[in-house]
Amino acid sequence: MVGPGRQERSWIRGARAGSVSDLEALFREHWPRAHRAAFLVVQDAAAAEDIAQEAFLSALRNLDRFDRRRPFGPWLHRIVVNRAIDWSRARALRRELSEVPGSEDFDTGDLGTFSEGVGAGLASLPPDQRAVIVLRYLLEYTPGEIADLLDLPRGTVNSRLRRGLDRLEAIVDRERR
Amino acid sequence: MSEEVKRSLQRIQAPDEIEAQRRAWALVRASFDTREPVAWQKRNRRPLLLVALGLLVLLAAFLSPPGRALVGSVRDAVTPDKNTPKPKPALTALPAGGSLLVNSSKGPWIVHPDGSMRPLGPWWEGAWSPNAEHVAVTKAHRLAALTPDGTLKWALARSKLLHGARWSLEPPSECCRIAYLNGRQLRVVAGDGTGDAPLRDVVGPVAPAWRPAVTRQVAFSTIDGRIELADVDTTKTIWLSAPGDPPMQLVWSDDGRRLLALGERSLRVFDSNGNKLWAIGMPVGPSGVVFVRKSHRFIVIRYSPATQRSDLVLFQAETSPGEPRFLYSAPGDFGTLAISQNGDWLLVGWINANQWLFLRLTSSAKVESVSNIVEQFGGSSEAPLDTAFPKSVSWCCPASP
Repeated sequence: MVGPGRQERSWIRGARAGSVSDLEALFREHWPRAHRAAFLVVQDAAAAEDIAQEAFLSALRNLDRFDRRRPFGPWLHRIVVNRAIDWSRARALRRELSEVPGSEDFDTGDLGTFSEGVGAGLASLPPDQRAVIVLRYLLEYTPGEIADLLDLPRGTVNSRLRRGLDRLEAIVDRERR
Repeated sequence: MSEEVKRSLQRIQAPDEIEAQRRAWALVRASFDTREPVAWQKRNRRPLLLVALGLLVLLAAFLSPPGRALVGSVRDAVTPDKNTPKPKPALTALPAGGSLLVNSSKGPWIVHPDGSMRPLGPWWEGAWSPNAEHVAVTKAHRLAALTPDGTLKWALARSKLLHGARWSLEPPSECCRIAYLNGRQLRVVAGDGTGDAPLRDVVGPVAPAWRPAVTRQVAFSTIDGRIELADVDTTKTIWLSAPGDPPMQLVWSDDGRRLLALGERSLRVFDSNGNKLWAIGMPVGPSGVVFVRKSHRFIVIRYSPATQRSDLVLFQAETSPGEPRFLYSAPGDFGTLAISQNGDWLLVGWINANQWLFLRLTSSAKVESVSNIVEQFGGSSEAPLDTAFPKSVSWCCPASP
């Protein structure tokens, strides 16, 4: 992970000192990718919005303790992705407990453009694999960085990436035929 | 394959991205407006040492003209944004129409829209009548009806300690009744002080709740935590729930079709027939609940013992709670919720900060805050906040049928 740019350090310093305009700049820089990452992991628009919101608020609450020599993005993405994984696991558990209708009955209205190809394939992966795929290919972290973010051994990250990509490939191939 | 995955993922958009960003920014901004920054010295303990060492060098630089310019630019960079709103030191006006009835440690007060305040006298607690024409007040063994200027209309006395008086919501043409607790006995008296009679001999300690939109039905708790809805004319039970966590608060939706029973450890949601729609566990700690106006959505205070923070969370009182939506959070305890008559503003009592927060719930979220709440309602700044802070607030007027 490269260090933060001069501009970002300035925004963090300003936000700590109470500047709304610096906070807004920080927010506008990081919100879209955090929100999108949450959505790709949880695949639920309302939950993704809540998770990204809570992650930002959590980051804001801890801004005074943040080491501004480090980049803000990974710090935020760690919160977002871990919360998104927790939420997805909890949803899976709730479904098992309540025996709600299967995926053929599940309302996909929230999924928008995320309904075909890679997007649909991603939806079929377990949350742990979705998370590493999103961190690697949307947020463009290296496997070593993902291991740091998720507190996982690097080998585990690599194997989840490999298994996730294999499954995606199989799904996309099947759709193409 | 990996390049294809990358391209595909980067093309995908979350639904409603722009609106989601706008909503999120409003919340982040509102939270930022009321944050309590960590003291600069605490935040910078380690850098302070380095700064101290560097000061000698800077001192030399400061003596030169270029050094003076540098110090000026640093000072400009750390000056807080002048547009950041700070808590107002006094309540000078309400952000929406209507009046507040505040149950403070020094008795009930009325706050008018222009911020003017009037104590109602040495009573312990009060409750609005419909349209705020009167206030029912209690103290020790006495129940009384006052006009908002404090004029006594009538009073009665009973053998036990009286509390939990609540005025019924019938239209003025049929006016009105007051349900109240005489110790553990639930009684009902007409709005003119006549016809006082017991409705049930032993009930739970929560204040009764008249059902809006339906005349003469009142909900209360039994001693084993059941919720009962009774017709006060016939005294018959309309429905009785299963036992549960004894409620501390009973709240109806404006249309009288949903009832919330908030206990120390759980929140139960009932429909108008007494069917429990769902329930959730609540962490022990400060709590409170209020319905959004003309809606089955409601806001609940959820305290986290782990983080010692209070969150405001939005649920729906339908067959499922929906995904909870986080609205606002702050360190410490929230103790009061009241929603404005027009439904646009939510008053939140933030006990630890001795502040009231006014949160605008409409499309562009906003927070205004007022400090020194205890002192403004006659309390002492020396008293512990958890006992001196106003216990409850209601914002004129209760829902009309």
